[in-house]
Amino acid sequence: MEPARFEAIVVGKRFHGYATELLVEAPNAAGAVPGQFMHIKCDGRDGVIMRRPYSVFDAAENTISFLVKDVGRGSAWLSARKTGDILDLMGPLGRGFAVGDGQRSILVAGGTGIAPLHFLAGCMKERGLCAFLLWGMEGGDEYGELPNIIADRFDLRLSSMDGKRGIRGSAVDLLEACREEGCTALYACGPRPMLLSLTDRARDMGFTLFQVSLEERMACGVGACRGCVIPCSTPTGGYLSACRDGPVFDEGEVDWRRIRESISA
Amino acid sequence: MAEDKGIDIGVELTGIRLKNPVMVCSGTYGVGREYSDWMDPRELGALMTKAVTLKPCAGNPTPRLWEVPCGLLNSIGLENRGLKRFLEDDLPWLHEMGLPVWVNVAGFSREEYVKVASEVSRSSLAAALELNISCPNVEKGGMYFSNNPRDAAMLVSSVREMVDIPLYVKLSPRSSDIKEMAIMMQEAGADGLSMVNTFPAMALDIETARPRLANVTGGLSGPALHPIAVMAVWEVAGAVDLPIIGMGGIWSWRDAVEMMMAGAVAVAVGTLNFVEPGAPLGIIDGMRGFMRRKGIEKAEQLVGMARRMEVPRPGGEYEGKDNAGG
Repeated sequence: MEPARFEAIVVGKRFHGYATELLVEAPNAAGAVPGQFMHIKCDGRDGVIMRRPYSVFDAAENTISFLVKDVGRGSAWLSARKTGDILDLMGPLGRGFAVGDGQRSILVAGGTGIAPLHFLAGCMKERGLCAFLLWGMEGGDEYGELPNIIADRFDLRLSSMDGKRGIRGSAVDLLEACREEGCTALYACGPRPMLLSLTDRARDMGFTLFQVSLEERMACGVGACRGCVIPCSTPTGGYLSACRDGPVFDEGEVDWRRIRESISA
Repeated sequence: MAEDKGIDIGVELTGIRLKNPVMVCSGTYGVGREYSDWMDPRELGALMTKAVTLKPCAGNPTPRLWEVPCGLLNSIGLENRGLKRFLEDDLPWLHEMGLPVWVNVAGFSREEYVKVASEVSRSSLAAALELNISCPNVEKGGMYFSNNPRDAAMLVSSVREMVDIPLYVKLSPRSSDIKEMAIMMQEAGADGLSMVNTFPAMALDIETARPRLANVTGGLSGPALHPIAVMAVWEVAGAVDLPIIGMGGIWSWRDAVEMMMAGAVAVAVGTLNFVEPGAPLGIIDGMRGFMRRKGIEKAEQLVGMARRMEVPRPGGEYEGKDNAGG
């Protein structure tokens, strides 16, 4: 699907605890690749001017959906949209996940990082590929019934830090506990501390493909402003843009040392 | 886009003819290619490139952005691929597009500025230069050129000697007297001014007591900057005899017209590009509609229109309860 700017009508809305799932009409949405995002204008109130990037949570023939967690002025506006409201979207943007033929995969999500991996799991299922979806959350009741809805479609394993849902612990603990044989691909999306401990543990687990979806504060969404960059692992240092080079990166493209420094600084 | 008979939206500045007065600000449009899927850059009056430095520049650590009410803080740190790649890949592509290009030049020493500016000038692929003087001068302990009018003037005259195309200087809105700064730039040989750059600013996360930007401070752009820019243009237009490209939070064609009425010959759209790729096209259309409604035949008549009013008196209606407005 060629990226475009378009007006999209909200055709459905579901509440999943802290997160709101918005379903919008989007022509040719089926062409979106898992890992790509929509850049959504959060209009005007309280001086909000910039767009907000949201990974595609699901896409069908003519609809696309995303998960909005109310964490600030923009997302508060967005999660208050009602059926029939119009949104201004740019997308789908960015580089999505790479999926090889015949591979068995493990998908590790932390919190709302479930969004792109849910879409990825759906596309893998369509292609008849085997995928295990691991989802860690802080509180077991944070996402309402969403874990049950997802578990109806996929092989889903859950963890929560408070132990109210799934095993007690993090998504990384779920990976440790996952005993599925023959998985060669690992995909992850979640908060940076989680991704850091995941990369530390998974690097030597023998995955031939290991991709992460990274988030950074974003302005243009098309690679022009160099605002949303991610430190890259080339010897000369430098940065890759999350919006255009990413948001999906091979684990080896990212300079995790600088990411670790930035969150512990 | 239908051409209006009898309405001339073109402007001319320092001998460069623009088919319309709407440009895009440095740093908000990359080198043009990034937005070419979203709008045809040839529709623009002109394009100002992202800053070019002599050597490749990695830029600042992240986070580099933070949104504030009606504004955006950024601290990109001049990230670019350096002069060589710019001259080999980017500038020829832009030249091929056939629109006038202002190349934004940045540096960390006088020598670097001179080298970059003279090579861009020698390439014959740029219409003009825009000197970004809001950069740290490593020879002066990292003090910004723009903070010291004398350093800035020396820089401008050094560059002026070595280039054959018009030299614009981009002024910072944080200046004890922007008129004095503008006069010194004129005396140092600047051919034009672009104003204003972002306003130095910062924000803190009170939960952690840490700055929102990794670089601690950054520059404020967006609608919050607009009235500051209008006043700066208003003041400077009365103090120097140089063409001014007005910029700072232009968010609509109304803002563009306002900036021209304050004294700008052309305007540049910045942060709005991030929100609405293609916004310059709507602004061009809106300006044309305004001119038609007001019976203004030439965009050049707008330039400094507010300055020519005999008594500058507040105009417009107040949207308060008595007018039953907004």
